[in-house]
Amino acid sequence: MVSCVYIESAVRDHPRASQLLQRLRKLPLVEIDHYGEVFNPRAQNFRLQKQNPAIIIAHKNKGQVLAAPEGYGLGGEHNYYFSHMLNCLYDCRYCFLQGMYQSAHQVLFVNYEDFGEQIRQTAARHAHKPVWFYSGYDCDSLANEPMTRFTEYFIPLVKSIDNAWMELRTKSTQVRSMLKQEPVNNIVTAFSFSDAVSHARLEHGVPSIEKRINAMSRLIDAGWPVGLRFDPVVYHRNYQSAFVDLLEQIFNRIDAQKLHSVSLGSFRLTRDHFRSISRLYPEEPLFAQNMNLDNGIISYPLDREREMIDFCETQLMNHIPAQTYHPCEWHG
Amino acid sequence: MLIWVCALHCEAGPVIDYYRLKKSHEVRAFDVYHGDDMLCIVTGIGKLASAAACAWVAARCEREAALAWINLGVAGAAEHELGTLFVINKIVDAETGQSYYPAPAVTTSLAASACLTLSLPSDEYREDTLFDMEASGFIYSALRFSSAELTQSLKIISDNRRQQTGKNRQRVSELVQAQIESIDRQAAGLLRLKQQVAALEIPADSWQQLLSLAHFSQTQRNRLRVLWRYLGNREFESQALLRQLAAHNTASAIIATLEQISYRDSEEL
Ligand code: SF4
Repeated sequence: MVSCVYIESAVRDHPRASQLLQRLRKLPLVEIDHYGEVFNPRAQNFRLQKQNPAIIIAHKNKGQVLAAPEGYGLGGEHNYYFSHMLNCLYDCRYCFLQGMYQSAHQVLFVNYEDFGEQIRQTAARHAHKPVWFYSGYDCDSLANEPMTRFTEYFIPLVKSIDNAWMELRTKSTQVRSMLKQEPVNNIVTAFSFSDAVSHARLEHGVPSIEKRINAMSRLIDAGWPVGLRFDPVVYHRNYQSAFVDLLEQIFNRIDAQKLHSVSLGSFRLTRDHFRSISRLYPEEPLFAQNMNLDNGIISYPLDREREMIDFCETQLMNHIPAQTYHPCEWHG
Repeated sequence: MLIWVCALHCEAGPVIDYYRLKKSHEVRAFDVYHGDDMLCIVTGIGKLASAAACAWVAARCEREAALAWINLGVAGAAEHELGTLFVINKIVDAETGQSYYPAPAVTTSLAASACLTLSLPSDEYREDTLFDMEASGFIYSALRFSSAELTQSLKIISDNRRQQTGKNRQRVSELVQAQIESIDRQAAGLLRLKQQVAALEIPADSWQQLLSLAHFSQTQRNRLRVLWRYLGNREFESQALLRQLAAHNTASAIIATLEQISYRDSEEL
């Protein structure tokens, strides 16, 4: 349940802020100068805050579009990401955001036009080459759609730029606003799935696998490019049978030939994020599993990771054309 | 431990009575009243007194698994009715301009407001904020020992443009007393949060017993702490584990055994 709304004084009269305030009018409102005052202080407990997070309405001053980390994306040459919001409605225990931010409050930026301008400029710097813009790095792209109305602005924007591609990464079922628009070939909605055991134990608040397959199927039927992301694959005693079941469940409904892309990667976190999150959730089995530190990244020991990826890849290849597959490459 | 921080005895009195706190006779720096998992400290007036008292009491509670704080006191406001209780969601220090935000982690039906902390008494009433003389000192200090979710400030209006309670201590106590049920509900919510944090910590006695089994380097202690916290929170019985570990007499063998137990347990997710 959302506990209160913080708003930067400078955006009080912004039309998007006014819309948000109208929706959230029953909640206490606190004026602030800059979202960092509330979001960044160290003396905050992400776990407690997640039980009743606040909404922070803010303006993103700079760095609206950033180069994507090495290995992120679908193998394109020019990869960028942008975040119209920080943090997420859902509460996946493996999510790195819990380790990255001090606060579980959700920051909603309202100056979409500045993001749009930077997207245009970035695409123009690589004229005639495909440039990928990933949304859903610091948040779930669509989960807050009824509030953020993200697609209303960003879909027409990306559609209007010849060499721009955009990935929306989501675990939500919020596709209604997309279904109201004409499909766009260079906008891919990528749905992330974990097997039913991991979903039940680790993905708190995330809609059921079935509901998400439904949402995917509706987008495909409407002509939208759709991708599948099996990342992170989490180890547990029955991960093999659970993964096989998940693929059955998905491909019973989804025509693999119609998928834009599929990617797969095992659970991993930077050492710092792993430490912070495991301190927040000391009772969590995910963090008590046998892990290795490799180049600043904590992940499964190499032989286990290899076994998991080999198994999952082999199963996937029984369903999808090889050219749609993009493994997540993160070993240096 | 839940720590009540009040500037004056007349503000603290209703809390002391309600929870039947007992005066501590061992300490002289501040008046302190104790109960089960709770204490109340009377700090004296002003933000410096409040900050000093918080630091002093936190040092005395350093063995506690988690500390939660409530700064309870009276405040002025331009228009609000005398006796109205507010949970404070923004504290501004008038002298430094610094803002603090107690995190709204406890679900509450109480009205919320900002509070401006002044260094000197004032009868200049501002429209959009309460004002007091302690909250900024309290939160500045309490946030060194606890997170913002466990650090709350509750203020009851004692003065407005039309009516002033001023130095009438009896009346201040009555205003606090009239809100004691609401104050108690807020405290209960905060105590639940505090217990969630405290429950994750390792009980001091089993930790000491574990350390006595072998000589652990600092790195080994860090690893041991992670493993022991995990197993404790998964409801492994600590005495049964300690008996099992007694067969091993080196730190690395103890850690290896606990790792194997953790790995097996966590495979189920
Ligand atoms: S849906 Fe994605 S962003 Fe949201 S909590 Fe889960 S992993 Fe994190």
